Amino acid sequence: MREWYRLAFPKNYLDRRKRAGFLFVLPALVFFASVYLVPLAQSVMYSFYKIAPGGAREFAGLGRYERVLTDPTFWNAVGNTVQLLLISVPATVVLALAVALGLNRISNLKWRNVWASMYFLPFATSLVAAALIWQWIYEPVYGFLNYALSFVGIPPQKWLQSLSQVRPAIGAISVWVRIGFDVMIFLAALQTIPGEYYEAADIDGANALQRLRYITLPMLNPQIVMVCILELIFNFKIFDQVYATTQGGPGGASQTIIMLLYDTAFKFFRFGDASVMAVFVFVTLMAVTLLQWRIFRKPIQY
Amino acid sequence: MANLPQAYPVLRRVGFRWALTLAIACGALLIFFPFFWMAVTSLKTAPEIQRVPLQIAPDNWLNFSNYIEVFRREPFWRYLLNSAIVASVAAVSSVVVSSLAGFGFAKYQFPGRDVFFLAIVGILMVPFQSVVVPLYVWINDLGLLDTYAGIVAPDLVSVFGVFLMRQAIETIPNDYIDAARIDGASELRIFFLVILPSVKPAIATLLIIKFMWSWNEFFWPMVVTTSPQMKVVTLGLTSFTNMYFIEYNLLTAAAVLSILPILVIFVTLQRWVVQAVVMSGLKG
Repeated sequence: MREWYRLAFPKNYLDRRKRAGFLFVLPALVFFASVYLVPLAQSVMYSFYKIAPGGAREFAGLGRYERVLTDPTFWNAVGNTVQLLLISVPATVVLALAVALGLNRISNLKWRNVWASMYFLPFATSLVAAALIWQWIYEPVYGFLNYALSFVGIPPQKWLQSLSQVRPAIGAISVWVRIGFDVMIFLAALQTIPGEYYEAADIDGANALQRLRYITLPMLNPQIVMVCILELIFNFKIFDQVYATTQGGPGGASQTIIMLLYDTAFKFFRFGDASVMAVFVFVTLMAVTLLQWRIFRKPIQY
Repeated sequence: MANLPQAYPVLRRVGFRWALTLAIACGALLIFFPFFWMAVTSLKTAPEIQRVPLQIAPDNWLNFSNYIEVFRREPFWRYLLNSAIVASVAAVSSVVVSSLAGFGFAKYQFPGRDVFFLAIVGILMVPFQSVVVPLYVWINDLGLLDTYAGIVAPDLVSVFGVFLMRQAIETIPNDYIDAARIDGASELRIFFLVILPSVKPAIATLLIIKFMWSWNEFFWPMVVTTSPQMKVVTLGLTSFTNMYFIEYNLLTAAAVLSILPILVIFVTLQRWVVQAVVMSGLKG
């Protein structure tokens, strides 16, 4: 208490300096509080209250949760999101790791940079533009993908318009967009592994696979965990790609949680139900993040 | 001939290197292909893209009629301008607020400092979509729907910026700051004359990446914009899509226009961007 009093009414030079420090961080604090903390609290509140158009509030308890969480539309969206995630997260991380390991072995720095920047390019592209380019590639009649597949004898597929292919097709877009980000992280991490480890392994007669298994992967462990979490969060919040292409179709086969949240809030203006989903997304992501840290964050052993 | 057995592993190594380079190059070209396909399609006419069998090269490599048509159909200049305004404001404000906060967190002792910093870190766990409904209500109550202020509001600062600037400012020796104090400089003067000039690389990094993020933003602008002339370019792109019929020659031309500014920035300043991304990742 006394500390705060002196921050507000500084007595001496040292107090004034403390106040200066506080004032420097104040704009950021105000911003984050008003854009994230207060609205998050409001989201939680909205989810428990019935709000009449006039603004009158009535406590609804868990009634709203019961309604949303027993709605098959909601669980369809959750199921789709999880399926998308199970396709894109492992694919992105594994491919990115392979690409990063490969790039790291290319000794010609100029060419390595050229190849690397091609992998990075999709990362700079907006998700909307990326999805729309892919929609054109997936086009069933005039699209490039079916044309290319015709050379290996595969008949034209419907991709984004097919109930069963729409999720892998959208998942592939996410992989394309995100692979560059993961490669950047892995490549940076690979370059910090001291060369002596590999020299020591060479002296011990370790082969390439053993070097990968016993040096590279353990050294990359923190980055792999981090990238998995980031990809999981990114793919759980998938929206732009779906909205720009299928809008959740065909027949709800690509409806995702955030799509449903958006429609509920801004198409049907059911803010209360949308807030239940908002709380669900927040709680799930936090739980998953914490859980993943606990499971995968093992101490690195050599 | 006698040397052959010894040359064997060398040969295998060279072969491996070639195979590796080939694989990496093929992957890179595969990743690059959609960009190429977009650019090529944007140079074709509507009958050309519906040709069977498909033809890769456009009839006329200098056919820019789709681009002209994009500007005729939609106020696309306006979309580009809107995105440029929003992204610039977001980038600059982010640098200003983040560097002030970074300075405060890195170089001062005050009650609650570590708690505040942890709270800001915690914000990373809050997905934007979880706060979007109350934010919309706020923006509506403030009368900021469909304005630049409304679009840019939640984008003014990012947690990453505060991290980056704190990290950068921490490396400035305290002696510099103390020397300036002895010379009688005020704290704010120290910030402008000592701190800011020493963290120029971090500022550049933050400017670039924040500009890029804001330019590519889609969800929030869509929530707060209602009129066509306030659309940002990502929203403008979707006006070329339609449930039943999409003119892909126009859509790809519009996509090229929307991607090009950011791609130019990215390619010319790639080193900074990569550094920023790696830092954002390592801090995340």
